[in-house]
Amino acid sequence: MWSNLLAARTQMGTSLGFHIIFAALGVGLPLALCVAEGLALWNSDGTWMALAHQWARAFTFLFAIGAVSGAIIEFELALLWPTFIKYSGAIIGLPFALEGFAFFLEGIFLGIYLYGARRLSPLVHWLSSLVIVLSGLSSAWFVVSANSWMNTPAGFHIAHGKITGIDPYAAMLNPSTPYETAHMILACYVVAGFGIASVYAMGMLRGKRDAYHRKGLLLGMAIGTAAIPFQILTGDFNARQIETVQPPKYAAMEGLLHSGYGRPLYIGGFVDTRAGKVLYALVIPHGESLLAHFNLNSFSIGLDRIPKSEWPANIPFIHLAFDGMVFCSFYMLAIGVLFMLPFIRRQFFLSQPRIPERRWLLGLAVLTGPAAILAMELGWMVTEFGRQPWIIYKLLLTKNAVTPAMWMNVTFLVFACIYVLLGITLIILLLQLARRPKPPQVWPELVRGASTAGSQAREGATER
Amino acid sequence: MIIAYACAVLLWLSLIAYAILGGADFGAGIWDLFSLGPHQEEKHRLIAQAVGPVWEANNVWLIYLVVGLFTAFPLATAMLATALLLPFGLALLGIVLRGAAFSFREYFNQPIAARETWGRLFGLVSLLTPFVLGCSAAAVASGAIRVFHATTQPALVSAWLTPFALVIGCMGLAICATLAPIYLTVEAQRVRNQYLAEVFRRRAFAGGAMLALTGIGGLVLAPSEAPLLWHGMLNHAIWAVAITIFIGVMTASALFWRRYRLARILIVAEVTALLGTWGLSQWPYIVPPDLTITNSASPASTLQQFFVSALLGMLVLIPSLWFLFHTFKVQERTPMLHEREIEGD
Repeated sequence: MWSNLLAARTQMGTSLGFHIIFAALGVGLPLALCVAEGLALWNSDGTWMALAHQWARAFTFLFAIGAVSGAIIEFELALLWPTFIKYSGAIIGLPFALEGFAFFLEGIFLGIYLYGARRLSPLVHWLSSLVIVLSGLSSAWFVVSANSWMNTPAGFHIAHGKITGIDPYAAMLNPSTPYETAHMILACYVVAGFGIASVYAMGMLRGKRDAYHRKGLLLGMAIGTAAIPFQILTGDFNARQIETVQPPKYAAMEGLLHSGYGRPLYIGGFVDTRAGKVLYALVIPHGESLLAHFNLNSFSIGLDRIPKSEWPANIPFIHLAFDGMVFCSFYMLAIGVLFMLPFIRRQFFLSQPRIPERRWLLGLAVLTGPAAILAMELGWMVTEFGRQPWIIYKLLLTKNAVTPAMWMNVTFLVFACIYVLLGITLIILLLQLARRPKPPQVWPELVRGASTAGSQAREGATER
Repeated sequence: MIIAYACAVLLWLSLIAYAILGGADFGAGIWDLFSLGPHQEEKHRLIAQAVGPVWEANNVWLIYLVVGLFTAFPLATAMLATALLLPFGLALLGIVLRGAAFSFREYFNQPIAARETWGRLFGLVSLLTPFVLGCSAAAVASGAIRVFHATTQPALVSAWLTPFALVIGCMGLAICATLAPIYLTVEAQRVRNQYLAEVFRRRAFAGGAMLALTGIGGLVLAPSEAPLLWHGMLNHAIWAVAITIFIGVMTASALFWRRYRLARILIVAEVTALLGTWGLSQWPYIVPPDLTITNSASPASTLQQFFVSALLGMLVLIPSLWFLFHTFKVQERTPMLHEREIEGD
């Protein structure tokens, strides 16, 4: 049997790994929806409107799952880590409460958007989707600011072993917040953009080469490609910041076992902590020093300067996860550029807007969606595994925060089974949704007829 | 520490909001399970239509309650989470499966058999969450959770499966099973379906009778099982008990004379009064007998900012909610006109 700690960590990790996908799509998809509806109104274009409706239907569903899985996370924070709550609730509870408001606002405007299409003017209807975009963005910011606090706790003093002078706003604006929140919010747009592109590239590969699929692919690619350079840039800022505030995490990410001047960059490979070397890696001499400090012979702290008790547990995994994330990001950047450059050239210089449609390129584009989700999951694992053994860096050990209840194995097993079942069902049902006959795309038909996703769904129900 | 009391009231209000709004969702699930026989599909559809637009947002009250509790009363949250891990875990299970089953049933084209299976699951798990949440409430109220040196023992079954807890668990079910059919009578009347209105009126009476019975059961058991709560009630909440009973009788009368809109307002008032009476009787304890509102509250700086953030949040939410209901109301009043406009084109 597993230890209580491991079971609790795995349960929390499973819940978060599941929730992060829906949360990211829930933050990112409204942007695509908002842009598509804006383009539809601007050009009186039925295809864009049909895409917006299809995404609204998918978003409703993702929002619902995100709400439920989010509720689980808030509960599990308290149920699995009661000592963490006792220690930090007063300091970092506030952003969670504010996130509640942002989420509520998102829910209200989703209701207005879905069911108000008949009664609102097109402009007000479009503006309600803009509110969804903004509230989704702010809820991501609030939640990630709480996670940043776990990495760089701030906003309080410790006097005689007691926490005093609590300032919740200073805690929310801790040193990691700007880096982590920017990186995560961009990740949402990357995941949603390339996720959409992936779905429509798949459709085109299956021979559905029509305006509907082209526009879906184009908008997804455009959002993803616009976000990914900034994502890589903020990732770089994050790594530099982590080097100063969390040296063990940085050393594990880069596979730096030994301190020294002019350290090499290890790409891939297995970090063998016992033998003290990195095996099977592509080694770039002086690479790490150059990338981190723009100086070939600068000094970098390795794991040897850090007490073994503060080493993260899965150093080989953290290094590979970090490299995997970076690889996925550059893959997305490359495919995005391959798509968008020819499109921009044709759009603005040859005035024959068409996106590239070669089969090999579509095939590579299908992979960008999974790559985006993989990069996000790996990046999140780097930050969480990298902080171990601390739940609050340098303040509270994870093993001291876990619940004393002894039956964590059982609860983990039950929740893991449910997540697996729900995940499988969800994928099957989303595939069915994608294969449904296309919604009407002729502008007058759309504007006259039932133009809300909600009422369409209801009509669908009566047809059944 | 007036601010600690203000935060406690705020959180109690969000508990009431969850009971009134989320409770109706669970109640709809419970009655969905028992919607058999003729006109079955019609009942399911009315339930689905009534639950559909609002249900995603309702979890927010529970989320807010949990995060608010751990912001303002971290010690109490940690103790409750430790002691009541099992019932809270079960409640969570119910929330997940209920949400998933409902959306899987509603949002996708599927064979009838699959839809029925999701529907059955939606109903069954709707029974679970209100029941265990009721049991947990009883465990707190009865003073079974003891705190020594800021630690407590996880309760496998001892605290939350006592006779008192079982009665209060049934009361949780009864609240949901009364709320939903009363809301649904209004819905049925709105679509001018007299038959369904009558069906749900009968169900509201059934749920209400169960609520009254469990209420009496709770009052009978309280002196021995929850002495602190009982004395608190006698000392400073006896008037609230009287009001609760009065509103309960009023609700039944409104239902009897088929004044459904009035009954809807009254049942909301009834649930508010019921939970309010519990809160008032337990005052000033948050987890009796060891944790009071003042001895488990966060420092004043946190409480102030939490309270201010709630006020600012309301400043944004209330106009938005007004806009939402305004949009719906306009839609409710004028669908016919719009249809004619379309035909005329």
